[in-house]
Formats: sequence, C-alpha cells, structure tokens
Amino acid sequence: MIKKKKNLMWSILFIMPALSLLIMFLLYPVCQAIYLSFHKWTGIASAAPVFVGLENYVKVLKSPNFWLAMRNSFFFMIGGFVILMPLAFLLAKIITSKMRGVRFFKVSYYLPVMLPVAAVGLIWGYMLQPDWGLVNSLLEKIGLGSLAINWLGERTVNVISVVLVNEWIYAGFNMLIFAAGLVSIPQDVYESAKIDGANKLKTLVYITLPLMKESFKVFSVLCICGCLKTFDLIFTMTGGGPNHSSEVPATLLYMEAFGSKNFGRGNAIGVIILVLGLVLSLGLNKAMKSDD
Amino acid sequence: MKKISNHLIQIFAWLWALITLYPLIVTIFCSFKENNEIYGNMFALPKEWHFSNYVDALFSANMFRAIGNSLFLAICTTILVVVVGLLASYVFARMKYKFLTPCFMLFMLGVMIPIHTTIIPISKIAADIGGYDKFWMLILTYTTFQLPQAIFLMTGYIRGISRELDEAAVIDGCNLWQIIFKIILPVSKPIIATVSILSFVFSYSELVFSVILLSSPEKYPVSRSLMYFKGDFSVRMGPVFASIILAVLPLTIIYLLFHEKVQEGMLAGSIKG
Repeated sequence: MIKKKKNLMWSILFIMPALSLLIMFLLYPVCQAIYLSFHKWTGIASAAPVFVGLENYVKVLKSPNFWLAMRNSFFFMIGGFVILMPLAFLLAKIITSKMRGVRFFKVSYYLPVMLPVAAVGLIWGYMLQPDWGLVNSLLEKIGLGSLAINWLGERTVNVISVVLVNEWIYAGFNMLIFAAGLVSIPQDVYESAKIDGANKLKTLVYITLPLMKESFKVFSVLCICGCLKTFDLIFTMTGGGPNHSSEVPATLLYMEAFGSKNFGRGNAIGVIILVLGLVLSLGLNKAMKSDD
Repeated sequence: MKKISNHLIQIFAWLWALITLYPLIVTIFCSFKENNEIYGNMFALPKEWHFSNYVDALFSANMFRAIGNSLFLAICTTILVVVVGLLASYVFARMKYKFLTPCFMLFMLGVMIPIHTTIIPISKIAADIGGYDKFWMLILTYTTFQLPQAIFLMTGYIRGISRELDEAAVIDGCNLWQIIFKIILPVSKPIIATVSILSFVFSYSELVFSVILLSSPEKYPVSRSLMYFKGDFSVRMGPVFASIILAVLPLTIIYLLFHEKVQEGMLAGSIKG
C-alpha cells in the first residue's frame, strides 16, 4: 500500500516537468492567442488590450493579402502533388534499385534536408539574383537570355520559384517515405507478375502503386498539413514581398504583428492557422484510417 | 526497350545529383572569391583562392560566435528534451492511473499545434517573465515544441520493452529513478538517438523564435545571423558565402558521419501514428 502511494507520488513528479512546459509554452500561448484575437492590442505591455469582438477576423477575412497568402499556401500544396510526389517517387525508385552509386545518390539527395532553411533560402536567393545569379548567368551562357527574369521580384513567379526551392529541399526527404514503401513489397509478387507476362508499366500500375498506398497516404498528410507551416523559406527568400505578393499565412501573421503592430489581427491569423491545421490533421488522419 | 528506360533512369539519377549538389558547390566556389569573380561568373572555379574570406566570416561577421550559440542552444535543448521526455514517457508507458490518459492526450494535441500560432503570445510571455533576449527562454520554448513528438516516440518504444525487466529491477531493490536511468535508458538508446537528432537539428536551425526573442547581436544563432546578409549586395560577397558554408558545416558533418541513423530518425519523426 505504501509502495503504491509512493509510485503515485513519483509518477506525478515525473510528468510534472513535461506537463508544466507544455502548458506554459504551448497550451497557454494558444489560449492567449485565441483571447487576444478578439482584442485590439498594439503590443505595448502598459496599454491593455481592448475587446473588439470579431473585428480582427472580419478585417483579416476581408483583406486581399490574406487570400493571396492562402493562395500561395495552396501553390505549395499543388507543387507538392504535381512536382514533389512524382519526383520523390522516382528518386525512391533510384535509391532502391541495384544501380551503381546508389549510396552516393541516397546521401546526396537527402543533404538539402539537413541544411538550415535560412541558409538554403540565402543560397537560392543568390542563385536566383537577377543580374549575376547562377540561374540567369547559365541561361545567358546557353543563349536563353530572354528567359532570364527576376525570379523573386515578380508576382506569382516569385511564389513558384520558392515552391520549386521547397521541392528541391524536400525531394530527398519524401524519397525516403516512398523508398520505405518500395522495399516493403515482397520480391515474389514481382516474380509472379513476370511469369504472368506483365510488362514494366503494368507491374507499376497494378502492383507497385496499389501496394504503396500507405506511403502515398503518409505523403499526402505531410504535404497538406505541411503547406500551412511554410515560413522560413519565404521569410529568407522574399520576405513576403514585393508588395506582399509572396506572403503565406505565417509570414503575414509575423508582418501584421511585428511589422504593423496589429497584434490582434496577427493573432486572428494565428487562430485561423491553428483551426485549419487541427481540422486538416484530424480530418485527414480519420479519412485515411477509415479507408483501410 | 528495358535498356533504354534503365539508361534514362540512370541519366536522371545523375541529373538530380547535379541539381542537388551544384548550388552547394557554387556556394563553396564563391566563398573563396572576390566580388568581381562572383558577379557574372558565379559558376566558375575561383582563379585565386581567398582563404581570408573564412577568417572574415568567422571573426568580422561573427560566425564563430553564432555557431557556438547555435550549438549551445541545440545541446541544451536536446538534453532537456531527452531527460524531461524520458521521465514522462516512462510514466505514460508503465503506470495505469486514470489521470494519465487525458495528460497524454494533451501531448498528442501538442503534436498538431502549428508553432506559428504561438509566436505573439510567446513574445508577450517572454516580456512578462523576463525571458526576453535570454537563452533560457529560447531553450525552454524549443524544448516544449519538441516534447510532444519525443514523448509520443519514447512512450511507444518503452511500451515495447518487456515489463519483466522492470520487475526484476524492483526485486533487486531499485527505485523508479534507478529503473529509468539504469534499466530503461540503456535499452532505449535507438529511440533516444532519434529524438536527439530531431531536437538537435530543429534547435540548431530554428529561425522565427530567435528573431522575435533575441535582440543582442552577440546572442544570435546561425539562422538569425545569416538574415543579416539578406538582400545586401553592396558588401563583399565572398565572406557572406563563407558564412553560409560555415553555418551549414556542423549539421553536414553530423549527417555525413551518421547518415543512415539521421535519415531513419527524421523519417520516424514525421510518421506519427
């Protein structure tokens, strides 16, 4: 009996540090964000927040910049499915094949994932620099100087450039998800398909892809939930500009709060990101599970 | 037919390796150049190798200090996440009190919360509790962001460890503290490595919280220091490129040494449930 009481005491003691950190630096801030999203507040500690009801939300939802930011997030998602998915699948095929140099490929493809995103953003910012950047210099060298545009300075083009850099980073990461799916397919399935006379394309469509359903599910969840989390790359490559054209919700939140001192409106964006994030991850996980 | 498609795949394999590595190689080239060799001729090998760029980057641009700051933040965060996370995970995995289920659910909720929602409140909290411009504030924030995932991974792992191990230890007279650190910790090395990699990589590279919580340049970690160069083309670019190379060096070295484990660990971190 005494031992049981002692165990209870230790258990409480052991989860306390983790629980207090979680409450103090994650759950309480979230509540605070929700609370402040209904208030007007300029960020000055002495000036108390003033309750304004839904005004912040109305202003955010009416602002064209917010919808532009949502559209830009959507670009990240589209890019994920149209470019990243086939690319990562192909890379997974390569690193699970018996080709020479597979180890080298696997190590190099994954390397960008390890680099701080701020460093990658800076590197690509210089590579895409319009006057002397690598991309435009190379285009001019091969006689395509007319294609050499200001990659990060033009509306829409700048978002697409950042999306492509995003795929450059994460191709190696998603490659591993598909590679895990590929190696889990037993070899004898392929052998019996061969005996039945299936060609390469048929094997891919009727055997490989269906058996990799799990990998595609994992990819989809990560891709859709991940597109709301973009911040560092936009922040370092374009800073959301020019004229807010490449903003995503998270950078818009930052600009509203720390740029324009509209902390209430920033928090309203934060709550929107939170709700979308929770709905997407809960909804997707549920949809994927019920599928089985 | 088979041959052609194999060749195409092989060509693509090399092409993507080139696309991946070339920008990094060009960055290395540029880190040894002077401005006149960078502008318009970025892709060429340096004609003269200016090693002094690295000296400037390390000391004038203060990358030496920035890397030290980042490593300090990353090491403290990693240790805290592992210790705090292991204690809680053990309780979640082994004890059967009713209040533990809702607590565990709170952590699982924490996995799903987008961190950007918290940046304004956290800057407010920092001002309220005197954590502004302090390393401990950043360390506690980073630790909290990594904890839900760490607890998820470690609880799952400890559940898979046989209870007989604990029971044998109890018979030998071990208390809970000793069971965790003498019995569970050594057996859980693989998952602790995974959690450490995730926490270390995150806190070494983190950007937004270092932007909002730090104001003294001598406290800047690498990502925050690199932001200083953004869009500034008037300065000598050689040391800027050298700074980038220095900033990515620690994680790159860790990666090249333990690439299998790093890849495996980061994959485990993304696939939760």
